[in-house]
Amino acid sequence: MKPKDFNPLLGHDALKGIRVIDFSWIVAGPQCTRILADFGAEVIKVENESNMDYIRGSAPVGGSTSPNRSGLFNTLNRNKKSLTLNVMHPKGMELLKNLISVSDVVIENFSSRVLEKWGLGYEEQRNIKPDIIYCSMSGFGHSGRDRDNVTWGPTAQALSGLTFMSGLPGEESAGWGFSYMDHTGGYYGTIAILMAILHRNRSGKGQHLDLSQVEAGIGLTGTEILDHTVNGRDFRRKGMPPGNRSPERGFAPHNTFRCKGNDRWCVISITDEKEWGNLVNAMGNPAWCDESKFTDMESRYLNQDELDNKIGIWTSQKTPNEVFNILQKAGVPAGAVQTPDERVDNDPQLKYRDFLPEIKHPELGTTRVEAIPMKMSSTPWNLKRSSPLLGEHSAEIYMELLGVDGEELASLYEEGIA
Amino acid sequence: MTSQALDGILVIELCGERGQLMGKLMGDMGARVIKIEPTSGAAERCIGPFKDDEPHPDRSLYFWANNTSKESITLDIETEDGQNIIRELSSRADVVLEDFAPGYLDSLNIGFKELSENNESLIMTSLSGYGQDGPYRDYKSSDLVSLAMGGIMHSCGYDDVPDSPPIRPSGDHGNKIASHYGLIGTLTALVSRDITGQGQYIDVSAHEACSSATEHALPAYLYNKDIVFRQTGRHHGATPTSKTLCKTSDGKYMIVFQLFNSLHSWLSLVSWMKEDGMQEDLEDERFRDMARNRTRASEDADHAFEVVRRFVSAHTADEIYRGAQALKFPWGTVRSPEENLYDPHFAKDRGMFCDIEHPEFGEGIKFKYVGRPYSFKETPWNAKKPPLIGEHTTSILSNDLGFAESKITDLIDRGVIYLS
Repeated sequence: MKPKDFNPLLGHDALKGIRVIDFSWIVAGPQCTRILADFGAEVIKVENESNMDYIRGSAPVGGSTSPNRSGLFNTLNRNKKSLTLNVMHPKGMELLKNLISVSDVVIENFSSRVLEKWGLGYEEQRNIKPDIIYCSMSGFGHSGRDRDNVTWGPTAQALSGLTFMSGLPGEESAGWGFSYMDHTGGYYGTIAILMAILHRNRSGKGQHLDLSQVEAGIGLTGTEILDHTVNGRDFRRKGMPPGNRSPERGFAPHNTFRCKGNDRWCVISITDEKEWGNLVNAMGNPAWCDESKFTDMESRYLNQDELDNKIGIWTSQKTPNEVFNILQKAGVPAGAVQTPDERVDNDPQLKYRDFLPEIKHPELGTTRVEAIPMKMSSTPWNLKRSSPLLGEHSAEIYMELLGVDGEELASLYEEGIA
Repeated sequence: MTSQALDGILVIELCGERGQLMGKLMGDMGARVIKIEPTSGAAERCIGPFKDDEPHPDRSLYFWANNTSKESITLDIETEDGQNIIRELSSRADVVLEDFAPGYLDSLNIGFKELSENNESLIMTSLSGYGQDGPYRDYKSSDLVSLAMGGIMHSCGYDDVPDSPPIRPSGDHGNKIASHYGLIGTLTALVSRDITGQGQYIDVSAHEACSSATEHALPAYLYNKDIVFRQTGRHHGATPTSKTLCKTSDGKYMIVFQLFNSLHSWLSLVSWMKEDGMQEDLEDERFRDMARNRTRASEDADHAFEVVRRFVSAHTADEIYRGAQALKFPWGTVRSPEENLYDPHFAKDRGMFCDIEHPEFGEGIKFKYVGRPYSFKETPWNAKKPPLIGEHTTSILSNDLGFAESKITDLIDRGVIYLS
């Protein structure tokens, strides 16, 4: 089990020695394997020129047609290796099987029958590597009447109920402004794989992890499901979704407030009387705060339209960042609705915590990527290399791992297998 | 019973709403999770909705949803006896999870340094608003504040509702994103410990966790100097894109997108619309060209969307969802969460929901919960009921720590523990 170059005196990578064959693409799968790679797993991204990760073409820097110039791709695929291999060619399939035989994890986020069609369902994989962990990340899972349905992040968010839960009452859904379930579906993939590795370490057994992006989304609606099954109350009802307010907690103020500037906003969420007192002080003890309709949480909650208007008059004289700093120094949970440029250029906390470290990319030069949002005392994540150029590690993997010699490799390239 | 993936792992949880999901996800996969609650009960027990709308610490559905498969012990951790109990439990634990303000547990001498002294394989995960160091370390946060500061709200809201603010998606997602990362760090440390035998300390920041979950927002600025903005019900973008929300004849909404992905799919869509004579001018060659070129935003694209929207509005959500999926369009109904209980794929075929018994309401009384977020073929997910307040205080103190009955009575008398 111990990697042979393991030295207990040095910091080591947490997932060193774990090899992952990664067929995943777009965002959800790459988000999952990126975390594994960041903690030191050897993630081999299997691609080929005619069927490469779609994100390689997303918003390329300089509008180039190179498959190596997408910022989002760089963020999602740093620390991974790229292997070009044509699985449709029998020789390519044979090489792939050799690769599986020396790997720990196989992951894909194709629609639900692709690997079976390749002859690489879980049973076949297990014949090649008995303790293989096979993680499939499809929209609807690998069983059931709708297993062939197609999803993207927005579909999974809509079906699971998450889109509906975001919005102002009486308006269309505001939803999520990005594929939240690609991120979160990815996290559940990572969580499942790590749990399966722990189990394999104890039992010697691998297994198939059947993930569904919609199910992972449904899993986030536990409270709303119980309100229906226990109380018979639907989330689809008048007054819902609650905008930025907090009917479930009965807290007020709990909202967004307009600030100085064009379309600039802050948030304030008061959880108890002490914080309310702090807010009143920070606003300069205006007389309206003493009115009986605002003196306790319940009355503030009942009168929050008026309450929010009055607070909004105070915030509108200040920038979001001013409100954030004044209120935090007074002990009030408040925040700026930060813009992307503010997070990159003006957030001293993100800067202090090195949230956007630099890494050199062969085509893009010095780039900055989002960190793993945690510090670990002995096995921190490492930023070792930028996202791989298409096929960057093919020669290394074919020759060093699969024992292909130089002559053979040349013919693999020639025949369009590598 | 079949084995579970985290069998044999002992977790001590000192978490409130930010971190409670970590322990639930571990408990549902077989870990033994002991939740330490204040003698008055965890604050999350006061968050609604409540069973039958009766506020009570044992009736919070929010608490139930996030605390299955845990045991509960009530304990005043600001007393020396309380701290000794934490030390004793931690000395035999694999994992301690906590989400107090940075420095609080250190001030009680039950921080990582003290707890790991007698247990070098201990993993301790601290989940805080901004991290354990840095200029914002002592600032306050909440679900709403995390979603604002982390940039998620900047991307969510409306571009066609005048004067509307950015919207925080409801459902505790700032807390959930933080918990997901906290769990990933914890599990990674457990895998590492299998090799080294050593535990470690993990410092997770909700602010960073949310900041790393905004897809294009940061790359667009970092690489292309573009600033994305919010657009109703669809992806943020640095330029306006076509709408995707379409109202159906039964008053619901659909997400309708990717009209021009390939010529084949475009033609199949137009011929489906033609069955009802609703294709209007979409058979025109210029739309075929757009499908060949996978065109996205343009006036013609907006027009095509309008024609499709008229078609969608003449049908029910289910007709459009089933019909579009049959043609391989990734369209979906904007469902309210409870509607999935009646979707046979998830509810019947996939067994996504599960009944959990609540004997405190009578013999055989059970409630349907949302079930597993993943399907493990060898080591199944299995949730047990959430604990009543302090339900396991006595059993943990006497069976795990060997406390005599007189000692437990003394702890009750001095207010260190509370038995309901």
